[in-house]
Amino acid sequence: MQNEFLQRLSIFKKNRLAMAAFFVAVLLIILSVAAPLISPYDPIETDLLNKLKPGFWAGNWDNLLGTDNLGRDVLSRILYGGAISLRVGYMVIAVTAIFGTLLGLVSAYYGGLADIIIMRFMDVLLSFPPLLLALAIAASLGAGLENAMFAISLVYIPQMARVVRGSVLKVKTNSFIEASKALGSGNIWIMVRHILPNIFPAALVFLTLLLADAILYTASLGFLGVGIKPSTPEWGAMLSTGKEYLLMGQWWVTVFPGLMIVFAVLSFNLVGDGLREAFDSKLKR
Amino acid sequence: MGLLRYLIKRIVLMIPTIIGVTIIVFLLVHFIPGDPVDVMLGEKATEAARQALTERLGLDQPMYLQYWNWLTHALKGDFGISVQSRIPVTEAILERLPATIELTLTATIIATLIGIIVGVSAACHHNSKYDHMLVTFSLVGVSIPIFWLGIMLIFLFAAVLGWLPVSGRIPMGSGIDEVTGFYLIDTLLQGDFELFLESVRYLILPALSLATIPLSQIVRVTRSSMLDVLSEDYVRTARAKGLPNKAIIYKHALKNALIPVVTVIGLQMGKLLAGAILTETVFSWPGTGRLLIQAISNRDYPMVQGIVFILAFAFIIVNIIVDMLYAKLDPRITFE
Repeated sequence: MQNEFLQRLSIFKKNRLAMAAFFVAVLLIILSVAAPLISPYDPIETDLLNKLKPGFWAGNWDNLLGTDNLGRDVLSRILYGGAISLRVGYMVIAVTAIFGTLLGLVSAYYGGLADIIIMRFMDVLLSFPPLLLALAIAASLGAGLENAMFAISLVYIPQMARVVRGSVLKVKTNSFIEASKALGSGNIWIMVRHILPNIFPAALVFLTLLLADAILYTASLGFLGVGIKPSTPEWGAMLSTGKEYLLMGQWWVTVFPGLMIVFAVLSFNLVGDGLREAFDSKLKR
Repeated sequence: MGLLRYLIKRIVLMIPTIIGVTIIVFLLVHFIPGDPVDVMLGEKATEAARQALTERLGLDQPMYLQYWNWLTHALKGDFGISVQSRIPVTEAILERLPATIELTLTATIIATLIGIIVGVSAACHHNSKYDHMLVTFSLVGVSIPIFWLGIMLIFLFAAVLGWLPVSGRIPMGSGIDEVTGFYLIDTLLQGDFELFLESVRYLILPALSLATIPLSQIVRVTRSSMLDVLSEDYVRTARAKGLPNKAIIYKHALKNALIPVVTVIGLQMGKLLAGAILTETVFSWPGTGRLLIQAISNRDYPMVQGIVFILAFAFIIVNIIVDMLYAKLDPRITFE
């Protein structure tokens, strides 16, 4: 198991594009975590005398990426925005991983009525277009990052539950499960010790690809002004305020947060794709 | 199993799902922290207005009765009256629906046509510079937030170049006789070609930005599925027979390569509906998505419930249609 995992990782390491994306992703994570230390200014402090100033291309070395309509430093807001997007992303992953795994595992392992009830409920959640469900729930719960995070998780829990259920059904048929039962192992023991480690690769790939999606959804909610307060230095929300000034030629308020979303989503997508290729391919022994 | 029996089976299976959807949509009002009436009317509302709204929404009744009342009305197509504009929710939605359908259908057609052509040509020039460029483009395409792309398109084509209108749909007063509500069709029915071109000009940018993500996916899938098919024995046989390249690609290979493409188009429909909400907001396109966002910011919950239900319902129907189309294309699939 350990050995196979390392072998898979070495396949991943040979994928140059995925490795490059991996380093970009790590860089973004470091920048976001270090945002409070490296940001030149406070991301929400307004400075109306300094509003909509262009950045370094106009020789402004105080605000490298310019300032927005309230005189807030775009660079600082982008850095803090990264922290917010990633925080929501990780929380979505954690919540999805816990509930998705639990529901998928119980559903597949016990089968019968539990399976029917859980999966039918998941089907209901899946019958909403994804953004619509997050939007509706976030709108009802009101503004707040936790609410946005919860709303986005609801989109992914059913998908995760399906992935886990599928892999558990496959693992369940193995004879070592039967053997463990014959030795008198309890259900919980079998699930934790024998089944969970075997579904780990499938879950890992799903969760990596989910991070990119979660960042995109967070930005979408921020852009639509649902679930995230407009003053929050969130990439999508920044874009939304910058939109009005773009037509007047103040492009930097919109362009930079947008580029950050593209970088983040692209790099996490490429890492996820690379992992999927590595874990889906047959190992050459 | 025949197509008709399959359809009936799908519709029967749809019923519990629809009931589940209605429960969630109904509960949206009850997810609101605090008193929903306060949230909808604001703090300054009079006691009489509060009382009236409470009664109208039935909030003074037990939960199961509330649900039952809401459900029986909803199934008749009655989602109540908008708290904000005081017109029936269904009427407001039906008025906006053609704009959304026109936008999403145009985007789907653009994405499908261009996606298949580009995907096929990438596969035919496998590993060339052209192929690598297209693969990179489609990778970036799935990672670009469409609202940002939309804003950038507006900036370039409307603000800088001035070729296309900034936002909106062709204005009401421009002389369109609304028959179908689809302006592209209405203007043609009228025989007014100039007006048709004008409505196309308004449609181009929103449809293009909405098409980007499905387009990128369709290119990726068409390309890889064509590559699989092109290495099949029957393609080699066709080549050996000396058939012209075009005939091999379009008659033999493409037909089989299309099966996974249809699946992807189906999977993209949900994203298209969701994307329409973002695109309509960026371009002030007067469709249901924009209506939803306005309703959310006005805290007009009957309206929110109505739109969410209609869009989810549309999504379920589209999925059934795609499944049937899929089975029709691939004779190996039996209806079960």
